[in-house]
Amino acid sequence: MAAAAWCTETGVPRVCWSGADVTLLGSPSRDGKWLSFADPVTGALAVRNLADGTSHPIATRPAGSHEFAYFSVFSRDGRNVAYAWFNQQGFYDLRVTSVAGGSAPRVLYRNEDAGFVQPCSWTPDGKQILTLLFRRDNISQIALVPAAGGPPRVLRSLDWVYPKKMDISPDGRWIVYDNFAADGKTDRTIFLLATDGSEERRLVDMPGNYLFPLWMPDGRSIVFAGDHNGPEELWMLPVEDGHAKGPPHRVPGSLGRFLPLGMTNSSELFCGVRTGTPDVFIASITDPRNPVRASVRFVGRNRSPAWSADGSKLAYLSRRGTENFGQDTYTIVVLDLASKEEREVPAQLADIDHVTWSPDGSTLLASGSDGKGRGGVFAVRVLDGKTTPVATEHGAPFRGFEAVWARDGKSVYYLHGETELRQHRIVDGTENVVLHAEGMRGLAINPAGDTLAVGIAGRAIRLTPLTAGVKARLIPFPGLTELAWGKDLYAGAGVGLWAMPLDGGKPLPVPVPSGRQPGVSVSPDGNSIAYGVGYDQSQVVSLELPRR
Amino acid sequence: MKRLVLAWMAALPACAGVLTVPLGLDAYLPVPETNPLTPAKIALGKKLFFDKALSQDGSMACASCHQPEHAFTDQRQVAMGIGGQAGTRRVPRLANRVYGKSFFWDGRAASLEEQVLQPIANAREMGSSDAEAARRVGITVPEMRDALASFVRTILSGGARYDHYLAGEDGALTAQEKLGLRLFTGKADCSSCHVGPNLTDERFHNTGVGNGDDPGRAAVTGREEDRGAFKTPGLRDVARTPPYMHDGSLATLNDVIDFYNKGGHSNPQLDSEIRPLHLTAEEEAALVAFLEALNGQVRSGD
Repeated sequence: MAAAAWCTETGVPRVCWSGADVTLLGSPSRDGKWLSFADPVTGALAVRNLADGTSHPIATRPAGSHEFAYFSVFSRDGRNVAYAWFNQQGFYDLRVTSVAGGSAPRVLYRNEDAGFVQPCSWTPDGKQILTLLFRRDNISQIALVPAAGGPPRVLRSLDWVYPKKMDISPDGRWIVYDNFAADGKTDRTIFLLATDGSEERRLVDMPGNYLFPLWMPDGRSIVFAGDHNGPEELWMLPVEDGHAKGPPHRVPGSLGRFLPLGMTNSSELFCGVRTGTPDVFIASITDPRNPVRASVRFVGRNRSPAWSADGSKLAYLSRRGTENFGQDTYTIVVLDLASKEEREVPAQLADIDHVTWSPDGSTLLASGSDGKGRGGVFAVRVLDGKTTPVATEHGAPFRGFEAVWARDGKSVYYLHGETELRQHRIVDGTENVVLHAEGMRGLAINPAGDTLAVGIAGRAIRLTPLTAGVKARLIPFPGLTELAWGKDLYAGAGVGLWAMPLDGGKPLPVPVPSGRQPGVSVSPDGNSIAYGVGYDQSQVVSLELPRR
Repeated sequence: MKRLVLAWMAALPACAGVLTVPLGLDAYLPVPETNPLTPAKIALGKKLFFDKALSQDGSMACASCHQPEHAFTDQRQVAMGIGGQAGTRRVPRLANRVYGKSFFWDGRAASLEEQVLQPIANAREMGSSDAEAARRVGITVPEMRDALASFVRTILSGGARYDHYLAGEDGALTAQEKLGLRLFTGKADCSSCHVGPNLTDERFHNTGVGNGDDPGRAAVTGREEDRGAFKTPGLRDVARTPPYMHDGSLATLNDVIDFYNKGGHSNPQLDSEIRPLHLTAEEEAALVAFLEALNGQVRSGD
């Protein structure tokens, strides 16, 4: 029971970085002095001095470019950082750059058909970078990419839902990673793979969800997050010669909602910690200052409400599972507004961004992506969650397309990218383009089903008639971010919400909480609105783990 | 060509140096702990694979149907066993079956160890019995089983131009082949089933092939919804292994693309992924071109 002894000596978590600018897409240097991160404002790869809180970019994008940095990991000597870079062609390269500067970043791997990469760890000799390659055909691959350039060595191909974390042992012989515990299961567990591909085995075999494994610096144990079918906790497992030596042990204390980011040479574990209790609220249009929380069963983890066409139900998205760099997993919940019953609808989707109801209330149109790597819109049967693709394609955004149902239920209107409004007929899958325009965002349909409202370039609402002979109208609305149409049309601009008179009158502000989040729905009778309030925040903390 | 050869030679050692894995395939080979790969077993398995003594009348070896020169299949529409007996299904290719999760078109064998003995005992194939075949070659049934399974695990195909493209050689595919790849993972949605290094999801689908006489996976599971479902074949070397489909009913890759473009034969169990694709003639040609880029180097026993 030596493990229990070292667990009791664990230090108190120390907050290393907090505030609105925290991102969790980086890792600490092995000396614990620096943290790499992706700057969401500038797109740059940057490093933060953990002693004085200053930061500076080490890889920047050209002026006018939309490129940006994503996941990153320090080399063991702290001199270089390998990172994912969203390039001008619209996919991710694997790059490496010097922390000290003085040389341009080098592209180590670039291929559109493995267009997402996640560098996770460097080999001890600094010659290879353990990287996850995410292929267009929905397979992820554990690969070693030579730091000097050259083809990746693929060690293992996995399913689309990829490991959250991988790490190489200090002796360079073993990789630990998380993956689904079994085919058809969503619980993950910890696996070990030899870096020469010669063997693989499961290290953790107990109920629950276990992920984000990292090696301790002495190479004699691993740490990882796990819930053991309860709250998320930190676990340690002794490992010797590629085999688990005894069962995993809990590390006492709670970090809350956390995800391990990296380990230093002095056994200091860096974690991202998420806080916040976003929720869905319902308010009367006539008294919007007193909203009521919609959910009783799943409090503090909900967003993106959608009212059914008959007004009897409210669907919303509810966060499930463990942290994932802020890109959490959501399930659909349907709230019966009369009985207050809340029922989960088990859609077979990897990611869901928002839902809208079919006119007959039998089906939800979910925007997101499936387990085959296809983004778009999917029909989800409310009864049992049976999910079928409606308009999908590989390479489409994993958060899907904005979509609404035609009032006759026979077709779907959706925004394909930001330039095409399409009509997709359910019966035969044929499509036609209803509107070409730049920067379309925000889509709603009126109760009669004869007019679509489309946001144009964040500057105006275009009322697009669906019947011949009627002219389109443009209503100026600077800052437009979203649209909802119940009895009346509503437009959102960031936190704010306005009722939009269609007779040319001025927009009327709707008093909503300052923490309102995107995603608003209006009841069909026009008397109530539902919206999300509150958001998650991130911190980076460190925790000293005793050496064995 | 020189580049291809060099890349092949630089391929990964795996399974403690017993086997060399070509570019494009996983270095990790899922070999059961109960039957580890050894040079001796592989050599014995190779000998057995070509030994006609395993068949009842001494006329057929495994290699009679799984011909190395044809990527370990043959050119017939359906398998032909001893005495000229015709089977009902196409001879499957054997390359990369080390990564397989189930075996035969209907997946009735859960391991290669389970699979390799069945053709020997099948009256319409080799017409013998496990015991008789082992007796003839002077070894035990488990020895024969493990050796054959080990040899089959060494049949690998990789190093195709597609693999070089994925490894970062942008010029390894032509513009037409790249268009074909875009369609493969996009409009045509072939990668809904043909995924990963071996281009198969190892699952069972009713794609509307055949006339409905063959129950397919349903014969194994007993479930009506599996009627007419067959395991997704890997697509390595597909361009040089006609005819196609589990029943060998389509003669060319153009026929296959055309078949799927029309949405398969309608039937109650038709997979929901199968629907008309609305591909143009140019797009069909690009898909065929891409499939031809999957031709690799098939090797075995080393």
